[in-house]
Amino acid sequence: MKILIVEDNERVARFVTKGLREAGHTVEHADNGRDGLFLAASEPHDVIVMDRMLPGNVDGLAIIEALRRSGNRTPILILSALNDVDERIRGLRSGGDDYLTKPFAFGELLARVDALGRRGVDAGAERTLQVGDLRMDLLSRRVTRGSRGISLQPREFKLLEYLMRHANQVVTRTMMLEAVWDYNFDPQTNVVDVHISKLRQKIELEGETALVRTVRNAGYMLSEHD
Amino acid sequence: MTRLMRSSTLTWAFGYVLLGIAALAAFAVPLWYAWNVTIFAGREEILRDDAQRLADVFAHDGVAALTAHISQRVGMQIAGERTLLLTDAAYRPLAGNLALWPQGIPAASGMHAVMADLAGQPTHTLLVQTTLPGGYHLLVGRDLSRFLPLERRFTWGLFAAVSFLFVVGVGGAILLRRKMLARVQGIRRTVSAIMQGDLRQRLPTVKSGDEFDTLAQTLNGMLDHIEYLIAGISNVSNSIAHDLRTPLAELRSRLEELATTRPPPGETFAEIDAAVADVDRVMRIFSALLRLAEIDSGARRSGFVRVDAAAVAAEVVEFYEPAAEQKGVLFSFHSEGVAAVAGDPVLLAQAVSNLIDNSLKSVPAAGAISVRVARRADGAVEIAVADNGPGIAAADRPKATERFFRGDASRGSPGVGLGLSIVDAVAKLHGGVLQLLDNHPGLLAQMVLPITAARSSR
Repeated sequence: MKILIVEDNERVARFVTKGLREAGHTVEHADNGRDGLFLAASEPHDVIVMDRMLPGNVDGLAIIEALRRSGNRTPILILSALNDVDERIRGLRSGGDDYLTKPFAFGELLARVDALGRRGVDAGAERTLQVGDLRMDLLSRRVTRGSRGISLQPREFKLLEYLMRHANQVVTRTMMLEAVWDYNFDPQTNVVDVHISKLRQKIELEGETALVRTVRNAGYMLSEHD
Repeated sequence: MTRLMRSSTLTWAFGYVLLGIAALAAFAVPLWYAWNVTIFAGREEILRDDAQRLADVFAHDGVAALTAHISQRVGMQIAGERTLLLTDAAYRPLAGNLALWPQGIPAASGMHAVMADLAGQPTHTLLVQTTLPGGYHLLVGRDLSRFLPLERRFTWGLFAAVSFLFVVGVGGAILLRRKMLARVQGIRRTVSAIMQGDLRQRLPTVKSGDEFDTLAQTLNGMLDHIEYLIAGISNVSNSIAHDLRTPLAELRSRLEELATTRPPPGETFAEIDAAVADVDRVMRIFSALLRLAEIDSGARRSGFVRVDAAAVAAEVVEFYEPAAEQKGVLFSFHSEGVAAVAGDPVLLAQAVSNLIDNSLKSVPAAGAISVRVARRADGAVEIAVADNGPGIAAADRPKATERFFRGDASRGSPGVGLGLSIVDAVAKLHGGVLQLLDNHPGLLAQMVLPITAARSSR
């Protein structure tokens, strides 16, 4: 994917750029709002990572609004040191697609960038999801693995749906908390891990290939390949 | 002088004095009018009637009878009430209480108010002069000077009342103003001292319960709260310093050790992972503190909506169920239908989550946690989380909601010591309280949220 990073802190920008390049993405970097707006408007990107506080007291949200007004629909991940719920809402209202608070773990950023970049491709009117021999019918809400039916609680269904929609991508615990439970606080204990392990017990019986992989320092990935 | 005029007490007092004078005038003017017009007119009529009656006696019975009648009346009446005189055509007195026909009376018959020379001295008199057949002259009069002392007394009384009102009003205002100024000065002195930094100062209160006392008590309440907040801030800064210093010190020594000893790569990477974990811990403390500050500021109240506390709690319970199951804890939930409050659903969820999280950490394997949402008799919604873990020692309970407090039982378990502080802050934001009680054994944590939620709190 082609990613544009608008971030004035040199160290953070270098760290993110390097990480994204290692993950196989093409990265452009602008260290101020004007260049960022110019780059974003002049060529297409798959994802834009936008810092909120830019040099010269420029608010990243203003740039996002300018882009959206000009008809640019590129998914944007907002980076911000402001973590108030209200700030988060403002960020998303201005046209941002996701919001990540500084400081962040790179794994979290990468997972969210991947999720945003993929969203355009299979934004969902499909009626079934499939990963390997795991099938989910979104209309009848039936889940099968091979010929075996799997019965899931509503919340487990939602969790599995989220994982399947982001198959072959890393999803972090925070992303699942936000998407499945709508919680944006830190529940302190590893509750999400317990939910995943319960889900695993249901979709991976003895002898079946593992589908949910644990990604160290980041989260989980649903994938048919090891 | 300008300061004197500006004083509201004086203005008010002056206004009241004027009002009093106006009331007196409203009383005196009709009285004066009644006296002068109604009574005076009546008096003239009585005199005229009297003269007519005497003329009738003369017409019926002749001059001798009238002379006898007048002499009898003069003999009966108390001195000077009525002036009577009957003379012949040559103005020689026949009967009456005047020795001579007075000077200065017009010759014509009728009513005259004149200065007449009665008994040797000029007197203001109202007279009816009638000339009877046969040239007899009849004089019926009334001595007006008899009413002078009464009129004078009335005038003086009115004047005295006005003066009294004025003196008492202005004097009282000055006294009142002096007293009020003294109390205002007292408040000002205390407030200046507080502004200079002595936060323990309080306004003096007397137990009279008057307006000033109420004001002083309200201000003292505000000062208590300010002192509490300031103490909270310094307490938090100390706690931040302490709690952040520990992981930062660890992190620093870890990195420094790496730099000096340069261990083999495998060990280096393990150390780096540990360093990242240290940073994560610092970050977690940070975001918890920021969240607390956000809640404490009360800004979240603007986003209050109607929330079903039972549904929120049910969702959190469902969220924690697998974790409880994994630990072998008996986890139960009970609610009595919808328990609506005005609140912030995310914060309420976080509060319940923190309570359950605390219990999960403290109960032994095969312990029990029960969550209950109920509406109390007074309409308040109660969210209770009870466990049978070690609980919190009675002595520690008041401190348990303080920031960074960690009971002996939780030392060594994960967590930063802000969980109950957040629950407490959320309860307060919703105008409620967090109560920590003994569950015999274990902890019973109750959030009580009033139905009128929040706006009136603090």
